[in-house]
Amino acid sequence: MGKNVWDMLLGFFAWCCAILLAGSMILIIGFLILKGYKAISLELIFANTSPLDALLFKQQVFGGLFPAMVGTFFLILLSMGFALPLGLASGIFLAEYAPGSIKKIFSLCFDILAGVPSIVIGLFGFSITILLHHSFNSQIFPCLLISALSLAFLVLPYIIKTTQVALESIPLLIRLTAPSLGATKLENIFLVLLPASISDITSGIVLAIGRCAEDTAVIMLTGVVAVAGIPKSIFSGFEALPFYIYYIASEYSDQSELMKGYGAAIILLLICSGLFGISHWGKNRLTAKTRFNY
Amino acid sequence: MIMGKKQIKIQIKDLGFYYKNQQIFENICIEFENNSITTISGPSGQGKSSFLMALNRLWESIEGAKVKGTIRMDFGKGFENIYHKNYSVTKLRQRVGMVFQVPNPLPMSIYKNIEFPLKLRGEKNKTIIAEKVEQTLIESFLWEEVKDRLFTDAGLLSGGQQQRLCIARALVLEPQVLLLDEPTSSLDEKSVQVIEDLLLKLKKKCTIILVSHHIDQVDRIADNKLVLSDRRLVQH
Repeated sequence: MGKNVWDMLLGFFAWCCAILLAGSMILIIGFLILKGYKAISLELIFANTSPLDALLFKQQVFGGLFPAMVGTFFLILLSMGFALPLGLASGIFLAEYAPGSIKKIFSLCFDILAGVPSIVIGLFGFSITILLHHSFNSQIFPCLLISALSLAFLVLPYIIKTTQVALESIPLLIRLTAPSLGATKLENIFLVLLPASISDITSGIVLAIGRCAEDTAVIMLTGVVAVAGIPKSIFSGFEALPFYIYYIASEYSDQSELMKGYGAAIILLLICSGLFGISHWGKNRLTAKTRFNY
Repeated sequence: MIMGKKQIKIQIKDLGFYYKNQQIFENICIEFENNSITTISGPSGQGKSSFLMALNRLWESIEGAKVKGTIRMDFGKGFENIYHKNYSVTKLRQRVGMVFQVPNPLPMSIYKNIEFPLKLRGEKNKTIIAEKVEQTLIESFLWEEVKDRLFTDAGLLSGGQQQRLCIARALVLEPQVLLLDEPTSSLDEKSVQVIEDLLLKLKKKCTIILVSHHIDQVDRIADNKLVLSDRRLVQH
């Protein structure tokens, strides 16, 4: 009987926690939408420019969120472009190739990297930029490339860890199947092990994308600016949504500007949800289709 | 141990198996005849599976495992040391097929499961692949049951069918030695019967080594019965 009561209490507590968390999320999103829905309009994004011209990059948008959206998009694309191959390769190395002692050392390093605050990574990127500027080429300034590289560093541990754990948790029987049929180690990894863990790995990638989209501290020190327009190259400064929100929230001069900040927050949320949606769609397609196509 | 005048397929000398520095068995010296079924039984945890894995070097995929001694097999060109540093492990595993205790079809269609080892070997001709798949499925008594759903998920088959699929997958490369690790332990009586019939038929072209716990099964199909216990492999 006593055990039963504890069981019920624990269940009740678990329920309360779940409801509290879900409730907080709904509260935050609800608050944002309530405050910002009025600001959402084409004008918020494109200001006075024609949307078509802006989308085709024919005309710069001034006063709208479009450059910040493009900046964030490119930032995510670039960072993931760096982090994904590196992270996957490191994860595969740790799970499949690294001998015990090296695995321990590397795992410790990546855990420490995961624990480094983003502002420190931003500072590091900034210091490297200054170093390069002084000793290598005075044309090097904080820019999109450096932000993307720094962000890649920030999200690498997520990708490495999820890849490693996903591969390591594959049951021995599945692991031995392909080798017993004459597959080499590499064939086993690419034809069986990776497809079998693609679903878990995608979860890590989704997390990394979210982090790239929202992080402000890193980009603040390495290249983001309040007004830059669409970045002309990876060596120019850029605008980004999280920085825009931060900037407006701390320095708004009137109510309409604050409204734009809320609008930007909703748009950032939508972009992230969109990216999550795409990742999940890709994950489902891959898990349904991998059925190991090679 | 020499068995009459029959042709010897596998010669094992001083075989020892170690896992994380712990000795599993040692000093095993034995020979296996061509076209015979040898069963290995004995208590759990004595290294019966490890013994099979020594024969196709699959233990090399398991961290902490180590093997000592020599194993020589005759694949038609005289005895070759399968642990020689120049001996291709891929070739070895194409000649020495293995079936595990739990059916382990890969998460793909029935057809692709059988096609998989052929593709690994580099077979690209689709007609040849299709012929081999059909032929192997017929041989494994599975064709009639699956011919109308070759492209459905192999995971949807019953346990017995999955195990026959795994046997078929091992057979498609036409191995000369077939290792089976308690292949019927998770199956119902009828499936067991089908697989035993299959093994008796396969004996004509393969040397079969079967780990089995079931004494009656051993009595039904074995030409040679071995017991692995106290780190030694002895004649029953």
